[in-house]
Amino acid sequence: MSDARPKLSTAQPGDYFQLLKPRVMSLVIFTAVTGLLVAPGSINPLVAAIAVLCIAVGAGAAGALNMGLEGETDALMKRTRGRPVAAGRVNKNDALAFGVILSLFSVMLLGMNTNWVAAGLLGLTIVYYAGFYTLMLKRRTPQNIVIGGAAGAFPPVIGWAAVTGDAPWQAWLLFLIIFLWTPPHSWALALYSAGDYARAGIPMMPVVKGARSTRLQILIYSLVLVPVAIVPGLTDLGGPLYLGVSVVGGLLFLLLAFRLWRSRAGDQPEADRVHGGPTVGREAALYDVRIDAKPARNLFAYSILYLMLLFLALLVENLPASPLVCPSCA
Amino acid sequence: MRLTDEELTARKRRNLWIALGLVAFIVLVFLTTFLRLKQNIEARKALETAAVAEAPAALPMDRS
Repeated sequence: MSDARPKLSTAQPGDYFQLLKPRVMSLVIFTAVTGLLVAPGSINPLVAAIAVLCIAVGAGAAGALNMGLEGETDALMKRTRGRPVAAGRVNKNDALAFGVILSLFSVMLLGMNTNWVAAGLLGLTIVYYAGFYTLMLKRRTPQNIVIGGAAGAFPPVIGWAAVTGDAPWQAWLLFLIIFLWTPPHSWALALYSAGDYARAGIPMMPVVKGARSTRLQILIYSLVLVPVAIVPGLTDLGGPLYLGVSVVGGLLFLLLAFRLWRSRAGDQPEADRVHGGPTVGREAALYDVRIDAKPARNLFAYSILYLMLLFLALLVENLPASPLVCPSCA
Repeated sequence: MRLTDEELTARKRRNLWIALGLVAFIVLVFLTTFLRLKQNIEARKALETAAVAEAPAALPMDRS
């Protein structure tokens, strides 16, 4: 006879931490800190630290809502089936409640701590990602990550607004870099995960338009992204270091995008070579690919480094004049 | 309903982290309130100093 007793959750605190998508969160923190340090004006270091914490938790809350809403879909994909909700370690409703509570706390605290423009932008980011992207866009159009990518591009604008209380064009330039970076980054991954997306019923570009069209679109987006990423180096935002990193890094990005365009990556959907294997649901699954998919894997991996280097260069160049380091320089 | 040891341990750990999270939130709200009060007091002082500095220049206008 089966045990009819309602089962209490055995989820560990670590499972809830995984709901926050810590890898994504680290990129959010990095870009938000850059926006915060690049912005003109002064901010108390403790206020800045609390603001960054709020932005990180807000982004994590959006991730928890996404995982709560996407548990069944995540369970169908190799890359995501190890996630807490997909693997059944955390109940769907618990994940959603966790996400809602953290969203409210982070937005409220950011508003009290800095200003309501920054808090409003954080709230908008959460609603945009969890509501607009996850619930509406993701399953409806192959342009899902193009439009949805805006959610990931907001953190530097929020960081900037936390200092100045507004969001001028320089902040939106940082937004634009991440926005244009998202399609080549995500589609490079999708090229060697197309089978996964097809199985889950998600109309990613390689699933709907095919690998060849996706490779061409990656090249086109890269050709737009690289010049735009150089622009901060020609303004007050960046200096010679940024200019050098954006030009050299951009050329390498274009080279990898060109190689990908010339390749046959994604032409044959990946077989379930790691189906149920040791890399399932783990980071290794992102990089362990078949030889013909390596150009896609290379661009995917390099795109992360490229964005990190761009923002790191901005950070390094603006750090000495930042009010956090030199209050009298502001 | 009798809980298994695994369920009890997991619940205890979750409760502990919820408590820590709430304490952290309270501390952050306290710090935020303190910092905002400090900023507002400094801003008021700066305004008062500016008003005092402008006052002598305004006096002849008042007499006429």
